[in-house]
Amino acid sequence: MTPTVMGSDGPSPTTEIGHTSASGPVLEPYEVFRQEKDGDPMRHGGNVMAPDPELALHYAREMFSRRNESTRLWIVRRADIAILEDADLLNPPLDRSFKKPGGYVMRDKLAAARERAGTAKPAARAESHDRTGGRRQGGAGGTE
Amino acid sequence: MTGPTRAAPPRLDPALRAPLAELLLAMADDEFVSGFTDSEWTGIAPLLEEDVAISSISQDELGHARALYQLLAEVLDDGRDEDAIAYDREPEDYRHARLLDHPRGDWATTIARRFLYELADEARLASIGDGWPPLADLVGKLRREERYHRMHLVAWINRLANGGADARQRLEAALAGLGPDAATVFTPLDGEATLLDAGVLTRSMADAEAAWRADLTAVLVPLGLPLPHTMPPTKGGREGHSDAFRWLWGEFTAVRHTEDGATW
Repeated sequence: MTPTVMGSDGPSPTTEIGHTSASGPVLEPYEVFRQEKDGDPMRHGGNVMAPDPELALHYAREMFSRRNESTRLWIVRRADIAILEDADLLNPPLDRSFKKPGGYVMRDKLAAARERAGTAKPAARAESHDRTGGRRQGGAGGTE
Repeated sequence: MTGPTRAAPPRLDPALRAPLAELLLAMADDEFVSGFTDSEWTGIAPLLEEDVAISSISQDELGHARALYQLLAEVLDDGRDEDAIAYDREPEDYRHARLLDHPRGDWATTIARRFLYELADEARLASIGDGWPPLADLVGKLRREERYHRMHLVAWINRLANGGADARQRLEAALAGLGPDAATVFTPLDGEATLLDAGVLTRSMADAEAAWRADLTAVLVPLGLPLPHTMPPTKGGREGHSDAFRWLWGEFTAVRHTEDGATW
């Protein structure tokens, strides 16, 4: 039941939960990710406590979609999540500015490329979350 | 006719009116009473998540009851709306099955009762044909929701059956205690022959009961749980209610009766 935690000195996420007892239900946290509408990314919604994966699914459904607010749920036992929070690995102490793209100005090159290709600057993302960067074929709000 | 205007009901054979009303009232009262009984867990369920789940499922059942009472209001066409039918009757006029006429009981009793009823309701819904399209349409929607209720209950039956001696003992006691009343969901209807002729029902209540029994067996036997000793349903399976129901009736009509005729 110990989760895979790399670089954590504190208590593991499950040890802070005091629901385990000899007679009562042994509850475990399950993390719930939800998709609000088709095509959206899965986002962390919260968590539920459940005694087994099957009831976790039911509780996630009641907590995160009983009012039709999700099109898809992912329900993951927290203990099954590999956690990486080691500062040495994630935020190393040495200067890493050379890995950042700062100082490299794209705007003029992009404008020139667009001119060569004969396309206009795409409109700001408007009403929908489409994945084409706004360059939809035909229809209203097109490329002109 | 008073009340809000609804789409004109499809033409209904007058001979079908009474049998259809009888069927709808039985179905609606089952959902209504079981929904209210189980809503008694709100705030005191065994764990917080289950509290939300059982309360939400109870609300689902009340929603199903509402949809069925609305159809009943169309069939009766006597000026009463779904609220009037649901709340403005004397306790003895309710027609829920005796299975649902017990006090809430402990958690195992609630799970056992819901399990027996949910599977019975499923067998009944599977017996509704397209003889009256409004009901057939509604049943299609109800079955989509009931599928989840069944999964939730079977998960709990599994947990209680395998959850240690106390849990199993309570579950077995609850199934045994409710067994004699379990088949009352299939109490024969006076108008059954007419409903079968019209295609509102595709099989008799007795055939639905046989299907339910096979379904129960398929869930309980692998868990080593004894099949409840059911009694064949007789005419009175939906009449003569308990003190527990009269108490519940007082509870669920209390707000409505604080001011009769008020618009909520």
